[in-house]
Amino acid sequence: MKAGDGTVAKGEGGPMRVEIEDLHVGYAGRDVVAGVHLVAAEGEIAGLVGPNGSGKSTVLRTVYRHLRPTAGRVLLAGADIRELSPGRAARQVAALPQERGSDFELTVREVVVMGRTPYKRAFAGDDDGDRETVARSLAAVGMAGHATRRFSALSGGERQRVLLARAFAQEPQVLVLDEPTNHLDIRHQVELLGLLRAQRRTTLISLHDLNAAASLCDRLHVLHKGTVVASGTPRAVLTPELLAEVFGVRAAVTAHPLTGDPLIAFDHRQTAGADLLREPAG
Amino acid sequence: MAAVTGTGRRTVRPAPLALGLGVALTVALTAAVALGSTDIAPGEVWSVVFRRLGGGAPRPGTDDLIVWQLRVPRALLAALVGAGLGLVGTATQALVRNPLADPYLLGISNGASLGAVAAIVLGASTGGLLGLGLSAAAFAGALGAFALVWCMARRGGGFSPLRLVLAGVGIGQFLAGFTSYLVLQAEDEQQTRSVLFWLMGSLSGATWEVLWLPALAVTAGLLVLQARARPMNALIMGDETAAGVGVDVTRLRRELFVVTSLLTGVLVSVSGAIAFVGLMVPHLCRLIVGGDHRRLLPLSALTGALLLVVVDVVCRTAMDTQELPVGVVTAMIGAPALLFILDRRMEAGR
Repeated sequence: MKAGDGTVAKGEGGPMRVEIEDLHVGYAGRDVVAGVHLVAAEGEIAGLVGPNGSGKSTVLRTVYRHLRPTAGRVLLAGADIRELSPGRAARQVAALPQERGSDFELTVREVVVMGRTPYKRAFAGDDDGDRETVARSLAAVGMAGHATRRFSALSGGERQRVLLARAFAQEPQVLVLDEPTNHLDIRHQVELLGLLRAQRRTTLISLHDLNAAASLCDRLHVLHKGTVVASGTPRAVLTPELLAEVFGVRAAVTAHPLTGDPLIAFDHRQTAGADLLREPAG
Repeated sequence: MAAVTGTGRRTVRPAPLALGLGVALTVALTAAVALGSTDIAPGEVWSVVFRRLGGGAPRPGTDDLIVWQLRVPRALLAALVGAGLGLVGTATQALVRNPLADPYLLGISNGASLGAVAAIVLGASTGGLLGLGLSAAAFAGALGAFALVWCMARRGGGFSPLRLVLAGVGIGQFLAGFTSYLVLQAEDEQQTRSVLFWLMGSLSGATWEVLWLPALAVTAGLLVLQARARPMNALIMGDETAAGVGVDVTRLRRELFVVTSLLTGVLVSVSGAIAFVGLMVPHLCRLIVGGDHRRLLPLSALTGALLLVVVDVVCRTAMDTQELPVGVVTAMIGAPALLFILDRRMEAGR
């Protein structure tokens, strides 16, 4: 797959700063996210990592306004997203959620043109600008020749790329991606991360794969039980001590032989209850 | 119907298809007025219609009366109810995010049926139930069911598909129980027959006076839904997707629920609960033009209209001695058609 001839043009304004201030979000009276602070600077790729249930997806859902915070704020370039209209917010923030389509008969083009929704009034059709944006977005993810295919007939990797194209078609300043590499084979994972690296929007992304997160993200924010327990560059954050403490796994952190990025080698033989920080024998 | 080929590329263009359906609907309406116990030549049909539309006086003779007072209102009612059911089915399927949802899933039609049956059964003994006519009683029943389902579905986060379906099915069955009880209380065979006829769906009540309300409701419903076609596209991908492209999901669901309920209430109150049209038509149209609601809504309306006009002609002419309720025939052809569509869909999905 070729990633087209570069990045997709953005809407008005360059990358945007995202600040999350003392965010609390709860379901059924229980706070899943309890006091999260984090900042993604202009054009930065900010990774959210943490064990299952640590609150990564919940934070991201609040940023793309699927969930409403019970307390705290999400600021886009200093403006509270709850004070923006839904359309205005969606022109600035585009999301790639975890949900995976439906049984309705939509084509690839119809899925991508959905990204134009926040720019459209009732009854407005697609104009040349929309068609051009859709074509450019599909080209950027290497799906240019697939516009008339049925979305539900695509492979998992193709679907993710089309959904990313939909997010590009929204011409946002901020991208929010919730586990975008889930269920993708390793080649499609590498391709998707390459697409994200090639664009220069402020990006908030949750990833389970810590090595992928270490290679992609400018900064990592480690979530544990609904709060951020560490923030910083991947090298500073991903230490054996933190991996033991937060994830409960024993691991060594070295440098990747090809890229020099932090590389985490997990001890898959660790026994339950072992002293996680003990030096390996011999 | 080579709607979707193996590669998933669609071969039918929407504009010629709409034109074709428009022509077919005109032909079907002409046939619906021409055919019946007395056949009338198509030329005579149009000459009566044009003379009447031009404000001309009725020509003496029975043809004029049959065409203008009986068959034209009936054909138009069939078209309106069919169009409305196509719309309401499309919108309900988006509302509960299930391409196999039926507009009657949300309990509104059960409320209307209870109202109508109460008017038929109790009306005879009490001299008109609260002074309501059959249609008004049915519409009141629909509104009552809507209020109940609304109250149950809005709780806990508001109008999620699962909540809507559970509330709709629950309330619907509850009301259907009362309807069955009332049917047993019917005083004579004639009353039972008219209850059954109504429950199965029938267009025999068509007059010019009946037409204006469904005409208004279908037109308004089409406009309101068409204005929301783009957000509906996002909604069928999922709530998070819709929120991400700037759709206020709870508000959109609430609007769709109100529009589909009112439109269903109006349609069922003038024609009974005609089966399968609202389920089958959107599904068929989706296979032909795809899932984009900007095309799907108007095409479902056109296709629904065409289907019901044709089916009603069959119902009026199939048997010499009596007329069949239109819902009987839509169910008899609808169920196999749906199975055929599903089968093709499975094939295409491979």
